[in-house]
Amino acid sequence: MRSFITGVLLLLCFTSTPASAASVSWHALTHTQREALAPLAQQWDTLPEDQRTRLLKTAKRYPGLTPEQKQRYHSRLEKWSKLTPEQHRAAREKYRAFNKVPAEKREQVKQMVREQEAGKTTAGDSHPAESAR
Amino acid sequence: MTTDLDTGKITQLLTLSTKQLDARTLSALSNARQKALERQAECAPAFAFNAGGEAHNQRQESIQYWVVAGLLAAMLIAGTSFWQHIQEHQTAELDVAILTDDLPIEVFVD
Repeated sequence: MRSFITGVLLLLCFTSTPASAASVSWHALTHTQREALAPLAQQWDTLPEDQRTRLLKTAKRYPGLTPEQKQRYHSRLEKWSKLTPEQHRAAREKYRAFNKVPAEKREQVKQMVREQEAGKTTAGDSHPAESAR
Repeated sequence: MTTDLDTGKITQLLTLSTKQLDARTLSALSNARQKALERQAECAPAFAFNAGGEAHNQRQESIQYWVVAGLLAAMLIAGTSFWQHIQEHQTAELDVAILTDDLPIEVFVD
């Protein structure tokens, strides 16, 4: 009976989330992890533990990304890390919902967004000229 | 011919007739009584043994109950942990997808 209880307790220990993974400091990260999370090097040690755990999980997938995806990942990481857990949750929900939309409509939305982005870039380019005047 | 007999008279008559029994019959009756007493004595320890067995059975049932309860608890913990692991895996997949999608992050963030 005692051994059985010990077994259950051991199972509890093994199934619980390892606390050490969450409290890894920047210097304790592996080369690959540091490469993936490079934009967060300065603020890594100040980030909440659960956020660090999440980011480490995303960093695991970094080596499998294409160069273009890696570049996007890096450029968005800082903004992503500044969002609140609620904003993260909402973003995931939106992304999930967007992926349920038919591919055609999704492509239309992407096209619209691309056009908007292009418009912003053009406007941004014309501003320095206007201010120079 | 009818005789009025009450229970007291019947008892008296039986006692009287017992006294009139021959030695062989009395000996046979005595042997039978002795055997019956021996049989009764054999039953008593058997009952005592059964009572002990019952206590043993109850203890075993209690252990079985705890083992089943423990197994259920372990299964519940393992199931919850597995479900949590799946959820975390899916969340990480989603995060990477958002961070690498060709749509800017602002589309999904308020």
